[in-house]
Order: sequence, then structure tokens, then C-alpha cells
Amino acid sequence: IETYKGYIREVQFGKPKSEGGRGKVVKIGGQKALYRFEEPQPNPPVVTFDIFDIPMHGLPAPVKKYFADVMEDPCEWARKCVKEFGADMITIHHISTDPKIKDTSPREAAKLMEDLLQAVDVPFVIGGSGDPNKDPLVLEACAEVAEGEKCLLASANLELDYKKIAEAAMKYDHNVLSWTIMDPNMAKDLNRRLISVGLDADRIVMDPTTCALGYGIEFSINAMTRLRLAGLKGDELVNMPMSSGTTNAIGAREAWMKNPEWGDRDYRLPLWEITTGLTMLMSGVDIFMMLHPLSIKVLKEIGKSLVT
Amino acid sequence: MAKVSAMDIYKLLPKTNCKKCGEPSCMAFATKLQNKEIDIDKCPILNTPKFEKNRKKLIEMISPPVKEVWFGNDKKKCVMGGDEVMYRFELAYFNPTPIGIDIADTLSDEEIKNRAKYIEEFTFERTGEKLKLDFIAIRNASNDAEKLKNAIKIVQENTEMPIAICSLNPDNIKEAFNVVKSKPLIYAATTENLDEMIQILKEAKKNGKDFALVLSSNDVKTLKQMAAKCLANGIGDLVFDPHTYPENIADTIDNFVMIRRSAIEREDKYLGFPILGLPINAYHYIMKGENPIENFIQDQEKAAGMYEATIANVLMNRYADALIMHGIETWELMPVLTLRQAIYTDPRKPQAVEPGLYPIGNPDENSPVIMTTNFSLTYYTVVGDFEKDNVTCWLLVLDTGGKAVDVSVAGGQYCGENAKKLIEETKIEEKVNHRIIILPALAASTRGDIEDKTGWTCVVGTRDSSQVGEFLRKNWNKILNEWKEKNDA
Ligand code: B12
Ligand code: SF4
Repeated sequence: IETYKGYIREVQFGKPKSEGGRGKVVKIGGQKALYRFEEPQPNPPVVTFDIFDIPMHGLPAPVKKYFADVMEDPCEWARKCVKEFGADMITIHHISTDPKIKDTSPREAAKLMEDLLQAVDVPFVIGGSGDPNKDPLVLEACAEVAEGEKCLLASANLELDYKKIAEAAMKYDHNVLSWTIMDPNMAKDLNRRLISVGLDADRIVMDPTTCALGYGIEFSINAMTRLRLAGLKGDELVNMPMSSGTTNAIGAREAWMKNPEWGDRDYRLPLWEITTGLTMLMSGVDIFMMLHPLSIKVLKEIGKSLVT
Repeated sequence: MAKVSAMDIYKLLPKTNCKKCGEPSCMAFATKLQNKEIDIDKCPILNTPKFEKNRKKLIEMISPPVKEVWFGNDKKKCVMGGDEVMYRFELAYFNPTPIGIDIADTLSDEEIKNRAKYIEEFTFERTGEKLKLDFIAIRNASNDAEKLKNAIKIVQENTEMPIAICSLNPDNIKEAFNVVKSKPLIYAATTENLDEMIQILKEAKKNGKDFALVLSSNDVKTLKQMAAKCLANGIGDLVFDPHTYPENIADTIDNFVMIRRSAIEREDKYLGFPILGLPINAYHYIMKGENPIENFIQDQEKAAGMYEATIANVLMNRYADALIMHGIETWELMPVLTLRQAIYTDPRKPQAVEPGLYPIGNPDENSPVIMTTNFSLTYYTVVGDFEKDNVTCWLLVLDTGGKAVDVSVAGGQYCGENAKKLIEETKIEEKVNHRIIILPALAASTRGDIEDKTGWTCVVGTRDSSQVGEFLRKNWNKILNEWKEKNDA
């Protein structure tokens, strides 16, 4: 058993009804040690279901079959995740706001956001399209309509106007995903900048990037492990809980590609996502963005056992 | 753990700088030895009687806190353990987890033979590496000594695979030694059979038999006591089985972590042995009980395979130095083998191939010139795709310091300057009668820079290398003819 000087911050998503929120509250982080036999682990890992604001016809068949009937309507999509698959949280990716896709306006994205908040009572991760110029505007507009709901704005990074995102989080009571690329020093740098804008460090979740299994997952293992150890050792600039874009795993050809030699994709694809997620879990990740309902079920079960 | 310094090692070396080890100096040899990059036997001077003492000291000094234990035969060895750190970023993990598949001795002779051959031949190719299975665990499911011996014989006759003999019955183990031709892994000594097992193994040793022994208990203290007893009896090649509980994998992980911490952080010699994980328990657990993922996967056996692979991956992430599994389908083993490959890559080495010009197929002066990077994952993916799709081309492999396409575009290594150097060094100009380079779509933004610096025309190709074959079939002739017309005029 080891003693640790530091701790991991606890971040809350959602607001209880008693405080005027929509209901469901989810907390992550809060650890004081690496393992449950050293110190009880306060919160089980959380999985948030990825959904998209436009139909994703390109999704591989083993995933699409679960969502084909709701892809046209993001609200239905969200409802299905919660009702049928017991989602703790939902991540809405406003990808149609990308100027190269549909250039949907921040206004329209915010309208959808309002509808989604009505549709289900779980907390949200709000994602943009990845366009560095547009994302801050989209996230700001959505943050405004979701005021007080303690969502996670995804994401602030060094290539866009992170100040705007941090300010939106402060003004409308949300959290910020601080995304960097596998470099612990870069993560520290971005956190420092976000804090210097005035953002409370207890509102930051770090995403040091998840490389899929077979596509550099060893870089992610190293980055996450280092950040978690540094946090527990007392570095207050990197002791935030961590997030993983586990869905990346589905982009690996070993997951999606049809290939009789490799066997049925129905087993292969979720297993690739599970393996990627579990490896990140073992490296200290607290919240997972995932796609396949089976992968999510398995990951949650194992995650739960690690904290009880 | 206080790591030995290169200086400490150097002090014990002959200090002649004779270069017989292939290193420029004794200090260089010391540094490599410290980083496990060279074998101590490479220095012939140390092997002389004069240095015998120093050599012993050195071995003691550099031997890892987790003992390296092997089993197998001359052709194929399974090496387990040898680790020095808790986290791979601190140095590297050594000895990729050997993965064994079970064969029950209750199967028919034909089934045993076929399964053994399948296990030996199983290959999953990734990034130019052939990922394979490592050993066969012969399970004494019959509890009959004759059946066990028969199964061992069949496996030995038909394969060269190292074997683990799994029986809790010491008498059957004793019998098995009469037919075993290699150094087996014996599974297992438990608190119940330990004394008997030690008796039998001591005798086997007297008869010149070698083996590695698994100690099985779910209690770390008990394992430690068992190890002490074995060591006192001269049995030193030990492996721990702290029990794999599929229904509560967290307990298993706790044990694995505690053992490894005691070995590395406390330097507890009695716990400094490799750990064996048993994902096969997860397989049987699902097969015997309910299918917890029935909503998604109805076939119980497939569900069991999913569970088994999941548990294997969890354990591999937490210090499993060897695994025994049951499932043999490719989709199940792929992620396990890929994870092993990832965890055990040496973080100190860039994963790169030699930059240069690689002819794919039998290219001629009209063949396309395609530029990729020297990151090994990129290179082998591209070459694998091209071979599958019968693409014929000149493949230019750019020195990006072992970075993927988009990474090196972002980092500035995929650029005109480097392309120019590569073109000059490979003399590609003499091989083709055109001046066109096809770039990956992810490198589209570097097109202008490369055209400026090299004078070659750049064409942006597809995003994924698996689409290049089709792209070329559709467009290459047109691209080439247009270029020729324009440049003849
Ligand atoms: C692993 C990784 C890293 C690792 C590098 C590992 C390595 N050895 O390359 C590390 C941590 C070091 C890293 C660092 C950086 N990274 Co990085 N990294 C990645 C990641 C996650 C995966 C890359 C990968 O392995 N791809 C797999 C290989 C096989 O793909 P590939 O080389 O592109 O090959 C495919 C195709 O290009 C095509 N192809 C290949 N050759 C050819 C040839 C032809 C003719 C054709 C037609 C096709 C073709 O087929 C191949 C198979 O599909 C990506 C994100 C992602 N893509 O998922 C980010 C990513 C590439 N990184 C990014 C960035 C910004 C960086 C940094 C600049 C960060 C920083 N600011 O420090 C540094 C740069 C480092 C440097 N070059 O000096 C960005 C790039 C953004 C951009 N496009 O501008 C990405 C896209 C992440 C993101 N979304 O922001 N990174
Ligand atoms: S062979 Fe031995 S003595 Fe000679 S240089 Fe190498 S380490 Fe030194």
C-alpha cells in the first residue's frame, strides 16, 4: 500500500431537481489512491453514448444495426440510448456545423440542444464538429441554452479560441474538456491557460487523446498513466479526471473492415472497442465516449467491479 | 527500486576497451548492459577465470526483480518475467506475455493432433510482424495418467510447441515426466499437494529433468510461503497463479498488483516471480452459467469467447506474464495479440523502417511513384494493402523520423526539403520517364511545398491506402498521359 500526497479532483455533471436541474447527476474522479485496496474508490467509471446531429450512414453495420431506426432524429437516438441501453450520459456531436458539411448555424445547434435536454434527463457532453473556428461559437450557443446543467464542453484545445469556451463554461455553469495530444506537458500547459482565464480547476476534465488499439495505444497508456501518477503525487495542474474518446477504436480497420479471415465483425468490432476502453480504464481514465452498446455494457461492468 | 548505474557496472568490467563485444568501449558496453540491450556473454574477457567473481557480481546486480523464467525446448522457448519497472514509460516491459491454449486429454487422438497443429500454425500478421501463439497447455481433464501421457506424446510428435502440463495430481505429473522431452511448465502446486509435488519434482530433477513450477493460491502470503519452501528445496523456476476469478476480476487484479509491487518496489525476493493469468476460467464460467450478454450475442460459445478475451486483456494490462486461454478464433485472439504487441514495444525505440525506394510488384519506367512515411505502422499497412491489391509502383519511403502521415504533416517532417533529399538519394529520376508523385490525401497540404522544392508534379491520392489500387486503375493512365502531353509540348 502506498500513500499519496495528492488526490484527483471530483467533477460533477448534471444538476438535481432539488436545485432546479433536470434530475440525473453523475460524478467522476475524486480518487485518493490508484487502487481500491489502498483506499475506497468514490465513483465508478462512466460511459457516455456518442450520438450525432445528422444521420451517420457511414457507421459500420455492427453498430448501425442498433441505431438505424433513430438516426434521423437525434432526440429519439438519445432516448433509445437511455431507455434501452441505460446510458448514464449522452455526447451530442454537432458535426453538421462543420462548414465543409452543412455549416449549420450555432443558433440551430442550440435549438437542437434545447430539444435534447427536454428529451432525456441525463447529463450531456456537448461536442462540436472539430472545426477550430466554428466550435467555440457552437459550444457557446449550446452552453447558453443548457445553462446550469453542468454539461461537459468538448473541447478546448490549443488550436482554437479556448478562452471563449472557458468563458462560456463559467458564465453558464458547465465543465470543460481540455484536449491535448498525448503529451503530459501539453496537458499541463493547456490546463494552466484555462485556469488563468478564470476557470475553476474543478471544472476541467482532461483528454490526452486515445489512440486505438493497434494504432499507438501505447502512447496513450504512457500519457494517461503519467498524468494520473503526477496528479496523485500532488501536481494540482494535472489532477483532473480523464476522458477517453474510445470510439476511435471503431475507426481501426481490424474493427470495421469486412474480412472473412478475421472472423465476424459482430464480435470483432465490439471487442476492439472493449479492449481499447479497458486499456484506458487501467491507465486511469474516468469517463469514456463510446458507441457500441455491447462494448459499453462490458466496460461498465468491469469498471464497477474495480471500485467496489 | 534503486536502479544500477552504468558506472556501477563499468567498475566491474575488464576496462580494456578491447572492443571484442562489438562496442567501442567498456563504458558503452556498460550502458547497453544497463538498458538490457546487450547480453553479458558478449564480453569474452568476463568469461575468463580472472573475472569470474566480477561476472557473478554483475549478474546479481543486473538481474531483474522479477525473475526471468523459461520453459520449452531448443527450438522454441517461452520466456516470462524479467521486468524491472511498474510502468512501461519508466523503461520498457520485457518478454512479451506467452499465450498458451489448452488441450484436454479427454479429446480423441485425432482431435488432439488437429488442435495442436492449429495452435502451432495460428498466425495473425500486423505491421510486418507475425503474431503467434506460444505454448500448449495439456489439461489432465481425465485425471488418468495414461491419457495424459498419450496427449503429451501426440503433441510432441506433431508440433514443436513448448508445453505446460496441467494436473493437480502429483502421481500423474510423475508419470508424465517419463514421456516429456522438453522443459515443461508444471501446473500446479497447491497448498494441498505442495509437499508431495516437491518430493516428485526433486526426484525428477535428480534424473536430469528440468521444469518450471506454477504455485497456485489466491492468497499472496501463502504464495510467498510456498515459494520459500520451494527455494529451500532447490526448486527455483517458479511462476505464481494468484487465481483468476472471472466473476470478480477486481480481486484477481488486486493480487496481481500486490505481487508485482512487492517484487519491484519492496524487492521481495520471494515474490519476484512471473504471474500466470487464466482467462480460460472466464470461458468456462460463461459456458457453465448464464450468458450475460444474451441480448447482444445469443451464441453462448461466442459470448464465452468475448468474455475470455476481455479478461485476457485486463490481465495483460496488469502484469500477467503468461496466459492460458481456450478460444482459438481469430476475432478473439486478434485484440489480445495486438495489445501484447503494443504493450511490449520498446518505448525507447522509434518504430521506423529504413527510408528509401521500395519497388512494389515489378515496376517499370511508366509505373507510378507513391510517397509514404517510414513509420512502421504506416509502411506495413501501405505495403500490405498494395500487395493484396496487386498494386505495382515505386514506393518512396520518406524519413519522417518514424511518424505517421498526418503526424509528420503536423510536425513538419513530411515536407519539400525531405522529399527532395529522398529523390536525390534514391535516384528515382533514372527509373521512371515521368516526374509525378502521388501523395496521401492526408498530406494534401504539403503539395505546394513539395512541388516547389522538387520540381515534381504532385497528385493527391486517396485517404486510405486500401483505396489506392482502385484509384490507380481508374486514373493512372490518364494522369500519366496528361503529364506527358503537357511536358512534351
Ligand atoms: C499516434 C499519433 C501521434 C504520435 C506519433 C506516432 C507516430 N510514430 O507517428 C505522437 C504522440 C508522437 C504524435 C505527435 C503529434 N501529433 Co499526433 N496523432 C497520432 C494519431 C492518434 C494516430 C496517427 C497514426 O498512427 N495513424 C495510423 C497510420 C497508419 O496512418 P497514416 O500514416 O496516415 O497512413 C494511412 C493513410 O495516410 C494512407 N496512406 C499512407 N501512405 C499513403 C500514400 C498514398 C499515396 C496514399 C494515397 C495513401 C497513403 O493509408 C494509411 C492507412 O490507412 C493521430 C490521430 C488519428 N489519425 O487518429 C494524431 C494526429 C495525426 N496528431 C496530430 C498532431 C497535431 C500532432 C502534433 C503536432 C502535436 C503537437 N502539437 O506536438 C505532434 C507532431 C509530432 C511530430 N511530427 O513532430 C493531429 C494532426 C492534425 C493535423 N492534421 O494538422 C492528429 C490528426 C490528431 C488531431 N486530430 O488533432 N501524434
Ligand atoms: S569485450 Fe569486454 S573488455 Fe572488451 S570492450 Fe567490450 S566490455 Fe570491454
